[in-house]
Amino acid sequence: MQDWESAEVENVEKEKVMILKNFSDYYKNAEIEVPAVEQREFGVGGFKKKIESRHMGFKTNGALKNYLVQDAPLYISHSIAYYKFPESTPMERKEWMGGDLIFDLDVHAGMFLTAEEIEHVKRDAIMLVEDFLEKDFGVSKKDVTLVFSGGRGFHIHVKTPRFRYLGGDERREIADYIAGAGLDYKKFFGKVDKYRMGGPKKSDWGYRGRFCRMVEKTLEENPSSIHRGLKKPEAKEKLLGCMDDGNWSKTPIKDIIERLEGAAKEMKLESVDVDTGVTIDTKRLIRVPNTLHGSTGLIAKKLDKLEGFEPYRDALAFGKEPIKIRAKQDLPEQEFANSTMEKIEKEEEKEVPKSYGIYLILKDAATLS
Amino acid sequence: MELNFACKYPFTEEGKQAIKENNIQINDEITERGVKRIVDALNRVQRTANPVHISDQLIEIGSYGAARMMLAHLRNRYLSNKFAIAEAKKASSLMARETKENIKRLQNELGVVPGEFEGKVVVPLEVYVKFSPRSVDYRLINRNVKEGHVEVSRREVLRLMEEAVKMKVEDIGLFPNAPEIVKKYSVKLMKLVPKTAPSKMSFKEGENPPCIEKLLETAKKHENLGHQGRWTLAVYLINKGVPYEKILQIFSNFPDYDERVASYQIKHAINRGYTVPSCGMLLSYGLCIAECKIGNPLRWKTWKRKK
Repeated sequence: MQDWESAEVENVEKEKVMILKNFSDYYKNAEIEVPAVEQREFGVGGFKKKIESRHMGFKTNGALKNYLVQDAPLYISHSIAYYKFPESTPMERKEWMGGDLIFDLDVHAGMFLTAEEIEHVKRDAIMLVEDFLEKDFGVSKKDVTLVFSGGRGFHIHVKTPRFRYLGGDERREIADYIAGAGLDYKKFFGKVDKYRMGGPKKSDWGYRGRFCRMVEKTLEENPSSIHRGLKKPEAKEKLLGCMDDGNWSKTPIKDIIERLEGAAKEMKLESVDVDTGVTIDTKRLIRVPNTLHGSTGLIAKKLDKLEGFEPYRDALAFGKEPIKIRAKQDLPEQEFANSTMEKIEKEEEKEVPKSYGIYLILKDAATLS
Repeated sequence: MELNFACKYPFTEEGKQAIKENNIQINDEITERGVKRIVDALNRVQRTANPVHISDQLIEIGSYGAARMMLAHLRNRYLSNKFAIAEAKKASSLMARETKENIKRLQNELGVVPGEFEGKVVVPLEVYVKFSPRSVDYRLINRNVKEGHVEVSRREVLRLMEEAVKMKVEDIGLFPNAPEIVKKYSVKLMKLVPKTAPSKMSFKEGENPPCIEKLLETAKKHENLGHQGRWTLAVYLINKGVPYEKILQIFSNFPDYDERVASYQIKHAINRGYTVPSCGMLLSYGLCIAECKIGNPLRWKTWKRKK
């Protein structure tokens, strides 16, 4: 065990010591509660890598917390899986006993998440939970844990026995469904008999229903993008009628399926860009909720709701007391900790609130001065 | 009646019970029949034996157990998969003309229990993704999904049940101390296995994109592949200039391989000069497994070199 206060770390740069001390202090009062902690594998990372060692285990949440206070790792993740022997290696010896279903939503952000990026990823997370998990998959809210990743997005943990034993291929079906990957709207149509063509209707579930809503919207906003004739109310009515009962032979437009390609593309907007690689990996390690993210110093915070959440206000682990930093690059004006941080020029030294200073140092945009 | 059910569906609890209650012991006759069961599976001969005599029924049930013992002893994935597919197909054709009551029993046993939701026949989503065949028509994204229910037709329920049987039969544990009789007949069985399979696939690591690697891996593991997967693999290999004989050899690894059909299909694809489906198409088939964004699997090598 490494003790950040011991003589061994004396040579470590003061910056690293400062960060580790603050991380450790945070963990003294943090609420860390991993469900079925004794069945999880843990991995930790430091200044070099996000995961430097894994195959660790903790018998209780208390033991985990003690470790966090003592060692203050920059990153800590737990397996989405439950194992009989979480510390055993190789992986097969752990004996997999199922795992949570996880979704990772990220935006490709620069130094800071912009307000638009935050709104975008929040909108996606809400859509994922409300439209897909609840409406389509019948997951109850109590089985969903929302977590700010501490970086650029959200992690959504689904803990329900229904999905616990799904393998990677099965999880891919779910992830692809949410991401709208490989959606072929032409598959919604098919001949019912010699004369009638069947297709989606408004009352249909899932993407079929979504598709009809998109067609309806296009008919309202820009009907001629489908067909010139649809400007006439009676032609429009006929097409709307198709979606009432799924009888698509009612419209006289022969190549209607091809013409709806535009509306189908819009449907992509109704899907959520989840990272499939994360969802299908049944042995994935995921950041422990309420621990710190070593690239930002922000809390990977467990959230009750997404509405109103602001990462640079609500996920701060450190106080406002000033620390002196030297910028390694030009830094723009930025909202942080309920204040406006002024512009800082490269090489400029400045006193900033600790949470902001640590953020910049961990982002490699500043050093402790 | 019960014995009749166990005889038709020996993979069920009733099958196990029948062995126990009737004290069916492994013997030459039963094991011989077990060998035949596996050989029939290899040769794609479907025998839906429905013996009336109790003694014949007991042998029939026992032969399933003996076949599994031999497969557990041999640990030959090719044979096990072939056997599982044949047993599942056999069960499926029996289920198609089964009584409602027996279908219900099977559904409970297999964990494929359809229900009704908003007037539609549905199965739970987790059951659907577990047992649906990996083909584009069964992709979740193309289905009617609501509140954890997936709409299915009666015919599709049977297909899910068939897959569930396959998975159940495939699941063969270890059998470290096989009795002599099992060992003896296992040797006999191996002599009857056609020499054509399994074959080697000598591709260098990283030579093919991840999606194709996965398809080749499926062949290597002697697992079945849906139509789109098989077609993609064939067309890719053809376009890569792999000779016809080698492609056929690779295809011989699939448990439901039929040389006549496979050779016709590969030749047909060569003659028609099909182009490799784009990454977008592979995505819609559910075969895309990485985000290489190369547009077409054939661009893999050029793209890798540039990288």
